[in-house]
Amino acid sequence: MDDEQVLRIPAELERMDEVLDFTSKLIDAHGTTPLVRTQLRMAMEELYVNIAHYAYPESGGWAEIRGSIKDGVATFRLIDGGIPFDPLAKPDPDVTLSGEEREIGGLGIYLVKSTMDEVEYEYRDGCNQLTIRKRIA
Amino acid sequence: MELTTNKDGAKLTISVNGEVNTMTAPELSALLKKELPGVQELTLDFAKCDYVSSAGLRVLLNTYKQMRSAGGTMQLVNVDESIMDVLQNTGLDAVFGL
Repeated sequence: MDDEQVLRIPAELERMDEVLDFTSKLIDAHGTTPLVRTQLRMAMEELYVNIAHYAYPESGGWAEIRGSIKDGVATFRLIDGGIPFDPLAKPDPDVTLSGEEREIGGLGIYLVKSTMDEVEYEYRDGCNQLTIRKRIA
Repeated sequence: MELTTNKDGAKLTISVNGEVNTMTAPELSALLKKELPGVQELTLDFAKCDYVSSAGLRVLLNTYKQMRSAGGTMQLVNVDESIMDVLQNTGLDAVFGL
């Protein structure tokens, strides 16, 4: 299956399940291991929640999710028309610190970076575009 | 997500059934806030859970800090491959003694 699937929704937290369902359907149509399935769903959750929380501070906006699987590689792109923001620019948390020293936040994007094969951000045509790629078979 | 609580004096076990994600993590957090006072041994059972996103990790780390500062313990049991992967990637497997 290499046709690109598209989901366009209001960028609201309450729509997160639709993003996860969209992700699952695309992956399940192709098939992969439970671990890779969870890693992809989790990456999509983290990235979508980021958009829902931060892209439109003044008023609501939209989010578009594009997904495809080609030659055993799943590609998902999340696009929004909100304020320019590169979530990858943030320094990674120190994951070697003890429990007491650990910061509560910052783990979401770090998880995306550590579980996906490729993560790219670009601001193009007035939109944030974040692309993840992961070999699923 | 469904949460089942089993309390025996200062011992509390919470079994998680379903996914701990951005939408459901606040439920786990609220239950812990309600049940944790007086608890010295906390066990979180993930036998029926295979998905804990960073929102869930935040609750776990917060709870771990709370238990430690109260002189108590927190144990995660029946952790499957997917949850272990998340914990290992974030270095929390070592923190939680897994």
